[in-house]
Amino acid sequence: MSKIIAIHSFRGGTGKSNTTANLAVLIARAGNRVGIVDTDIHSPGIHVIFGRRPESFTHTLNDYLHGNCSIKQAAYDVTESSIGTVGPDDERPRIFLIPSSIQVGEIARILREGYDVALLNDGFQDLLRDLNLDYLLIDTHPGVNEETLLSIAISNAFVLIMRPDSQDFQGTAVTVELARRLDVERIMVIVNKIPNSMDRELLREQVESGYRATVAGMLPLCNEMAELASSGLFVNGHRDHPLTLELARIADQIMH
Amino acid sequence: MSQEKSTDELDLLVGRMRSAAAPLRGTLSRLYEQFRGNRDGTVADYIPELAKANPDWFGISIVTAQGQVFEIGDSAVNFSIQSVSKPFVFGLALEDHGLEGVLKRVGVEPTGEAFNAIVLDEKSNRPFNPMVNAGAIATADLVKGADYPERVGRMMDMFSRYVGHDVFVDNKTFMSERLTGHRNRAIGHLMRNFGMVGERFEESLELYFQQCSVLVNCRDLAMIGATLANGGVNPATGVRAIDSQYVKYLLSVMLSCGMYDYAGEWAFRVGIPAKSGVGGGIVAVVPGKLGIGIFSPPLDAKGNSVRGVQVCSELSRMFGLHAFESGDNGLLEEQLLPQRQRQPV
Repeated sequence: MSKIIAIHSFRGGTGKSNTTANLAVLIARAGNRVGIVDTDIHSPGIHVIFGRRPESFTHTLNDYLHGNCSIKQAAYDVTESSIGTVGPDDERPRIFLIPSSIQVGEIARILREGYDVALLNDGFQDLLRDLNLDYLLIDTHPGVNEETLLSIAISNAFVLIMRPDSQDFQGTAVTVELARRLDVERIMVIVNKIPNSMDRELLREQVESGYRATVAGMLPLCNEMAELASSGLFVNGHRDHPLTLELARIADQIMH
Repeated sequence: MSQEKSTDELDLLVGRMRSAAAPLRGTLSRLYEQFRGNRDGTVADYIPELAKANPDWFGISIVTAQGQVFEIGDSAVNFSIQSVSKPFVFGLALEDHGLEGVLKRVGVEPTGEAFNAIVLDEKSNRPFNPMVNAGAIATADLVKGADYPERVGRMMDMFSRYVGHDVFVDNKTFMSERLTGHRNRAIGHLMRNFGMVGERFEESLELYFQQCSVLVNCRDLAMIGATLANGGVNPATGVRAIDSQYVKYLLSVMLSCGMYDYAGEWAFRVGIPAKSGVGGGIVAVVPGKLGIGIFSPPLDAKGNSVRGVQVCSELSRMFGLHAFESGDNGLLEEQLLPQRQRQPV
């Protein structure tokens, strides 16, 4: 059975796109076909982490939503650059990226015209079927918006990323409430960018009791990630780093 | 069965997301594609406003008793409600006079005659039922109000409660109806002769022409259906449109008399209380579950929307919606839940 994982944070800057990208690589490496959709139409970015330049995209999610192409035409095989060489006929592992357009004109157009959010769901189902995916990771736009709500409604697991920051705490509570209203199957909270000085166990307790949800991982604030500055995939260059190991534990929970 | 819900913004948003994610969306899409190529039937042309309808217009909408909205095709195109209005004015008359008060003036027997026949039940002198023109004029006559504006206002308010927003009368259609309404005036005079309508019957005829000219789209019809399915309470606004005790009478008379001369076979094969109109609209009600609204102007020989009948028949068959279906195959419930289970790879 394929699984849809929606990854979200209430506010920007929580490390959502980096976490999504790295989790995708870890899940794929475990022998899976993984798709990543950047539904953050207003502020796309995950393609940068995969080292893809916007000019290299002939079609994007925007084209699909405007009815100009099938969603498969907006999917790019990024397996080589993110996992390394695999045999050309190897079905697994595979990673596909479906980017959103970062061209100002495109963003303006979709802001002005809007789009039918139900088309997004049609697109997700098409991707699962046409690309034969085991996992579809949906990188969502922060905050409450239609793309996110739809993604939550159809997801098998909803991953919420937050920093140990009061604004994130309050906002994440809102999102958890929404997710419960949408009868989400499984909520997993990841606390990211935790300063070394913080008491992790106390933090975990606060989050678990505050949201009555599982804390799937506690990721440390680390300089190496900040220095990487979204120019690549952390888990590839830092295989034994505690951050990578914690991400692997999270990937494991997603897969089981 | 009926739930009075508060209009929570969050509920509305969540409901929209659920609809966007539900498999029923895909099913309606397939039904739409299946029947849109059917060009059988003719567009009504007894007044110019109806004659200029595009025969390719085709919209399907479903609203559940919980307020989930699904729509496809020309679901936002407005058209005159025509006969689809009749059960609801009957409902208003029931609220104004009670069951026995209304039954003194109109029967509830299906008739084999044409809907516009100038004929009354010989024994009782009553029009046969509220779904034929004679009966509809008699129920319009029963609408209370100090004067014409108040009666029109009460009627429009009633429609608004079912639909969940303000509705309006198309002036051109109204004018055409009243200028060509000779048969209807004849029926009115005949009933006045037998005391089935009162002194104000000419005003009631005007009211009747207005009711036929109310503009709706098929999403509105589905909402009207959902209101009846929800025991008389609009599932989107939480406003009660009709006293719950009268819902069953509306549904019964729709089932036995709603589809013109096809009513008997309809009740047998499809088994869903429904009302059709020459404007191309059909409303159908699955009690406790949902309302269906369809718009497609081409009509068959009996005056029912060709594609409308096909869609309702197919939905009834697929989901076991017949009123007397044994057991529940659960397929409908599955279609309403967000699509999460995938096909195995």
